[in-house]
Amino acid sequence: MVQILVYGAVISAIYAMLAVGFTLIFGVARILNLAHGSFYALGAYAVYTFTAVVHLPLWLASVLAVLFVAAFGMVMERVLVRPLRRSSLAVLLITLAVALMVEQMLLLVFGSEARNVPSMVNATYHFAGVDISSQRLLALIGAILILTSLWLFMQHTRLGSAILAISQDAEAAQYMGIPSDRIYSIVMGLSAGMAAAAGVLVAPFQTVIPGMGLLPLFKAFAIVVVGGLGSIPGSIVGALLLGYTETIIAFKISIEWSQIVSVAAVLITLILRPAGLFGKRAAF
Amino acid sequence: MGIHKVDRLAVLLASAALATAPLLFGSTYTIGVLTVALCFGMWAASWDFMSGLTGRENFGHSLFIGAGAYTAGFLNVEFGLSPWWSLPAAPVCAVLFSLVLGLPTLRLKGPYFALAMLSGAAVMQNLTIIFSSYTGGQDGLNGIDPILDSPLAYYYLVLIFLVATTIILKVIANSMWGTLLRAIRGDEASCQASGINVNFYKIASLMISAAFAGLGGALYAHYQLQVGPDLFAVVLSINIIIMVYVGGLGSIYGPVGGAILLSLLTESLRAFSEYRLWVYTLVLIFILFFMPQGLIAPLWRRIRSYVA
Repeated sequence: MVQILVYGAVISAIYAMLAVGFTLIFGVARILNLAHGSFYALGAYAVYTFTAVVHLPLWLASVLAVLFVAAFGMVMERVLVRPLRRSSLAVLLITLAVALMVEQMLLLVFGSEARNVPSMVNATYHFAGVDISSQRLLALIGAILILTSLWLFMQHTRLGSAILAISQDAEAAQYMGIPSDRIYSIVMGLSAGMAAAAGVLVAPFQTVIPGMGLLPLFKAFAIVVVGGLGSIPGSIVGALLLGYTETIIAFKISIEWSQIVSVAAVLITLILRPAGLFGKRAAF
Repeated sequence: MGIHKVDRLAVLLASAALATAPLLFGSTYTIGVLTVALCFGMWAASWDFMSGLTGRENFGHSLFIGAGAYTAGFLNVEFGLSPWWSLPAAPVCAVLFSLVLGLPTLRLKGPYFALAMLSGAAVMQNLTIIFSSYTGGQDGLNGIDPILDSPLAYYYLVLIFLVATTIILKVIANSMWGTLLRAIRGDEASCQASGINVNFYKIASLMISAAFAGLGGALYAHYQLQVGPDLFAVVLSINIIIMVYVGGLGSIYGPVGGAILLSLLTESLRAFSEYRLWVYTLVLIFILFFMPQGLIAPLWRRIRSYVA
């Protein structure tokens, strides 16, 4: 029972980080980013490279990994996405091309075998009769801290208000003098950085393989549909719902069945309430 | 509106070229490669009929392919029916799948349909592994009977199906029906305002698309004599989308050409099979940036304007 509570909280927190980034770039720039999962994979591989190959201390490696992926996201937005912005299908396909490219690149450089990333903290806690590794707790705390600071940033800074303004009405915001292109770039960096942070936090207890980004992409999409595309609170609630349902099913039935939850949730939401729990517009 | 004389000639010439190809390079291996290329042609044409015309990108076309292929496998291996039964049964099963996913998602706008189909295909891949006692899990179903014993004869059978599929889809696309589908791509709201039942047309076109994809899946299963969960893989859907883009979105015949071209290209690069996906990715980026209209359809239009 305690195990379900804690594991569910950890998985929900990781999902929330992924889904918030995914929904942010869609809500602001209308980019449906199929490369979002590759940011997650790149984050995990970057922290592996910085620790195992360059031998940097782990905290420095983590920070560098997040910054590297954020920069990668911004370059991708500038070079590949922006010239194609006129057609939403072209944008969808170019992000797909980036996702394929990243996976192939990781496969080419690191091979298909799983890599190990050292834990940031090694202790294991006994908690009402179950063992919980401190790395999972660190992932939970890290995710909560990052999500809270994003919330504060969005609500209390000028840049945050500019981002919200663009997401509400891009044209009107532009007339008010908000440089939309620069905002898109910043939001892509934020979104990529959060996905990478999720990858860095789970790397020690997940198998790090080139294809690891695909499943989180599905999960982020499912959460965002359940919560409402473009809504940040919606995606946090969606992440909690999905994270706990999956954990309960994984413990009570089997891991394989838990993979079905997300798609069942997507279908049920689309049938009953297409806008999602917190979505304002009726599925656009 | 039928098919123009020049186009009729082109269909004849293209079919004749495809029919003589295995006679020129007669090894069983080449015939196999060509058969697979034709199956890809059917999948690309059926993808283009729904997504190219209505502008609703289907990222899970492999769902219908896998459904058709597994129907063929089940009927043949588990129930011992004659392989000919697969040909009517596979499209029916694929159409059922298209209803289950299409009804809730197609009435929505935006990216929902694309992503729901993507996850639908991924779930079916998981389900085939979960119910491994029925589906054979990772190994899939083996020992499917061939429809025709000679590979060359089977190649011609698939070729007939491909040509028929292309003509049927193209005729529908050129009819009033196709004009309606293109109008939906252009402006869904004004179509609805003019009293067109937009959802009916979208779902019907998805059903047609699924039927031909399922048929292609069954033909593929009876060539491979084996079906596996990889037939539901997202990569397969993505390859088909890239083929359609190379051919030219919305033209039906372009994607068939793109599919055959790209399957033969990747086959000739077999020695570098690790780089196969690179080829697809780079081709996709190149097409998106420099030839948004695709390669084959615009080329044919240019030739056609000289000839006609």
